[in-house]
Amino acid sequence: MPAYELALLLRAMPKGELKKTLTRISHAIFNRGGIIRNIENLGFRAMPYKTSSHGLVHREANYYVFKIDTATQSVADLKEEYSRDVDIIRQRVFKMNENMQSSPCTLAEELLPPAYREEVQKMVEVGKTQVNRFTYKFKYNSGLDYYPFQK
Amino acid sequence: MALLKSFILRNVFLTTHRAIVSTIRPSSNAPLVEDDDAPVDIENPFKKEKVQCILCKLNIVPDYKNYRLLSQFQSPYTGRIYGRHITGLCKTKQTLVEAEIRKAQNCGYMPYYYKDKTFLKDPKLFDPENPIRSHRF
Ligand SMILES: [Zn+2]
Repeated sequence: MPAYELALLLRAMPKGELKKTLTRISHAIFNRGGIIRNIENLGFRAMPYKTSSHGLVHREANYYVFKIDTATQSVADLKEEYSRDVDIIRQRVFKMNENMQSSPCTLAEELLPPAYREEVQKMVEVGKTQVNRFTYKFKYNSGLDYYPFQK
Repeated sequence: MALLKSFILRNVFLTTHRAIVSTIRPSSNAPLVEDDDAPVDIENPFKKEKVQCILCKLNIVPDYKNYRLLSQFQSPYTGRIYGRHITGLCKTKQTLVEAEIRKAQNCGYMPYYYKDKTFLKDPKLFDPENPIRSHRF
């Protein structure tokens, strides 16, 4: 089961209702054979932009992040179920990338003068294989008995 | 006559000298005399330290939940993401930062068209007025 991150914005509501909503959300995950690894509460705060959902305009939200393990097929189901939930303003699912291999910093190579940069050298090589449109002159002895371009 | 004699003598001396040197050379090569004052092989002490971008140096992986860090790569006037020539990040980190900012904006963590006013006085990681490469603005 791949790991997903579920970023949810819940509408402003009293604590009891919020608790019920959170249990409803987690039961939806459990019913599809998923596991919750972690629930992060990022607090209640004003949203950077107003959002309308289910016929209401929201300006504040409870921010929650669920870290879950669930089957790939059930993600669409979950999204559909949460989209019908009136307490959820916005929901986003991201796949977690656990094995982030940190490549060494390439800033030193990028700061070199253009002639020493690998990508520029490649570009020059490609440029050598192309026709230079600025210096190219049509040869009249090409076998055509007419000039093919506009004069 | 005396001149010629001396010339021949000198010539002979020169050739013998050369012969002596040629015979000495291989023998002198074999037993190397240990000398405390001889030059030693060391790494170039004047070699500059390899420059790294700030995220690689501090080993930070940008994350959309850390919107305070991401907002430092955003213009306070227009909310647009600063380019690589201003942020001074390497290519991989810059693309990561841009992707995470998009995610954060889409999730409602970060505004699109301005910078969160509580983060306006955060320390500056770079100076937008002095880009690494010049731009046309
Ligand atoms: Zn880097």
